[in-house]
Amino acid sequence: MKKVQFKSNYSQYFFLAPQLGILLIFLYWPIIQTFRDAFTMQDAFGFGRQFVWFDNFLFIFDDPAYFIAFKFTIIYSFVITLVTGAIGLLLAVNANNVMHGKSAYKTLLIWPYAIAPAVVGVMANYFFSERFGLLYHLFNDLWGFNWYESVFDSYIYLIIAGSWKQISANFIFFLAGLQAIQKSVIEASIIDCKSSFRRFWTITFPLLMPTTFFLIIINITYAFFDTFGIIDTTTIGAPSGETRTLVYKAYMDGFRGLDLGSAGAQSIMMMLIVLVITIFQFRYIEGKIHYN
Amino acid sequence: MKKILSVLTILFTFSFTSHSYSKTEIHWWYGNSGFLGDVIIEIANRFNASQDEYTVIPTGKGSYEDNMAATIAAFRAGDQPHYSQVYDAGAAIMVAQVKNGVVIGFEDMAEKYGIKVDADNYIPGIKNFYADSDGKMIGVPFNSSTCLMYANMDILKEVGIESVPKTYEEFEAMAPKIKAAGYIPLVQSHSPWIWTENFFSRHNLLMTDGNNGYDAVPTKTLFAETDAFVYHWKKVKEWYEKGLYAYKGRAWGDNQAPFIAGEAAFWFGSAASFGGMKGVVPNFTVNHIPYWDSVTGGKEYPTFIGGAANWILNGHTEEEYKGLAKFIEFMGSPEMDLYYHNMTGYSAVTKGGIELAETINFYRASPYHKAVGEQLSLEGSTIPGGYRAGNWPQIREVIYENVEPMLNGKISIEKGLKNMDKGAAKLLKQFAKTL
Repeated sequence: MKKVQFKSNYSQYFFLAPQLGILLIFLYWPIIQTFRDAFTMQDAFGFGRQFVWFDNFLFIFDDPAYFIAFKFTIIYSFVITLVTGAIGLLLAVNANNVMHGKSAYKTLLIWPYAIAPAVVGVMANYFFSERFGLLYHLFNDLWGFNWYESVFDSYIYLIIAGSWKQISANFIFFLAGLQAIQKSVIEASIIDCKSSFRRFWTITFPLLMPTTFFLIIINITYAFFDTFGIIDTTTIGAPSGETRTLVYKAYMDGFRGLDLGSAGAQSIMMMLIVLVITIFQFRYIEGKIHYN
Repeated sequence: MKKILSVLTILFTFSFTSHSYSKTEIHWWYGNSGFLGDVIIEIANRFNASQDEYTVIPTGKGSYEDNMAATIAAFRAGDQPHYSQVYDAGAAIMVAQVKNGVVIGFEDMAEKYGIKVDADNYIPGIKNFYADSDGKMIGVPFNSSTCLMYANMDILKEVGIESVPKTYEEFEAMAPKIKAAGYIPLVQSHSPWIWTENFFSRHNLLMTDGNNGYDAVPTKTLFAETDAFVYHWKKVKEWYEKGLYAYKGRAWGDNQAPFIAGEAAFWFGSAASFGGMKGVVPNFTVNHIPYWDSVTGGKEYPTFIGGAANWILNGHTEEEYKGLAKFIEFMGSPEMDLYYHNMTGYSAVTKGGIELAETINFYRASPYHKAVGEQLSLEGSTIPGGYRAGNWPQIREVIYENVEPMLNGKISIEKGLKNMDKGAAKLLKQFAKTL
């Protein structure tokens, strides 16, 4: 093969420039701004900016609402990851075994993935409306469900609203993962073991681990960052701020409360949290995964 | 070739036409939607049709909060509109921005460009709400509402109640009867606005130190230390437990829904709410919000103004401000003021508008419109006609956060109000640092 070599020492920078430009403008510049906001205090219009060291951080640590949001974010991302992963896997395994109309099932199950979170929230609103909500009335009959008073019930509301769409994402990746498993491995396992249940847990599932690991990261990121639109169109944090994620709280303080210092500090805290989670995942979970 | 020619012709024609129609553009951003947004567009259309030098371009940005955030973001990007609608809770922030050259005060504008409607043309209560501490008008009063009580007269008739309650004592006495007949006696749509801010104004009580922020930058709210306020919330909780008051979450519409559906006898909402209710609720009346007779000794005090004002933003050309001045003059004319009052239910804000309404016997034809002006013009108040407290949008959040656990008994009323004070004090301190 002939090796292509650029003659000029500069042309590579020329070709790199657009990409670097995008990164600088849309990624690094906002990050620098966030740091600037987090360590300064300013009024809503950006006047009277003064350097305040860690005041903004102390301010959020002194705020019980911040820890409530933290708690909710952790619980929410854990449950969403679990629920969407489990249901997505169940659906994928079953859709993979279907003989007739396979693509119809697939298409129908993938559809919800295309819906924007805010729209999901608006739809969930109908199901959980006190006046005409089907699920509201079903749950209300079962145990007196009332999401704007009970924290537990509002969690259920948001978990259902938040999971629905993400199940589709899990389904797609699990299905692709299942189809990537070599037929010969499956056939060999059928000869060795009669129980399809055991076959799944000892052969298929371990082979799906890379997909599962990937989905755990995707689901946590989703619960952290993308559920914003759902919360804003459903509970708005009710009851009493118990259902705000960290992102939603930063938004409320920054854009509703117009306190960019606090919002900046919260963003940096979020960066740290995501950093810790990611390091943890790659350190302790990835080591246990076999990619081949 | 022919194709290129025709494209060129089209381009040329367009540039020509747009050139020949080029008028000075004035951008007006607003935070109303639905019907209220349509009325705003209609006002701009009428102005544009009334003259041909300027054209006002109204742009809806969503809710009040959205519009305020959009205006601030636009200003920081150097792309601000000329005129923007900012709501009551943001008034302190906007007034504070005059010294930074963000906002041009209305009186300065009126003087410089000779706007014929001067400050004295606006009715006093409304004028003061958007004025600085020296009484100089900064914001231009626009949609001015207040909280009012809507009553379903059919329900009252059914249970044998003849007149609507004037006081909470009267309400308390009649509520069990309404409940016994299978109706919800009371719902209300905005705990911070109706049952906090306007509780204080309605009972002539100070809400924050520094004379509600008019004399000095406030450092704390007076929730827990105001006995009448503690008493009120204890009563609210008692009503809630007895089923005399129903809480339907934070959303405005969810609390209004039982009233619209004919399930609730009374609803506390905004003066501008009746537009959507006319023809939906068969037989309703619009009344003053009740007060505690035991607190005021039988006297009735005015409530604060709700809604929003328009604010003039700096950074545009003389020519554009001349146009804006014309537009402000147009909107302040008695005809437009009454038009807006009639369409939306917001109060008339100019003396001229009110006089015109009297002349044409407007209130006899439409009694719905009367309560708002009446309640706002009540006299005898010794507190300022508003509050100047920064970070108020966040303080409203703090209030909301504590109302729910107070109602469901997770925390006591005293504890809830103390939490509110604590949260508010922190936010007020934060705001004071940026001044």
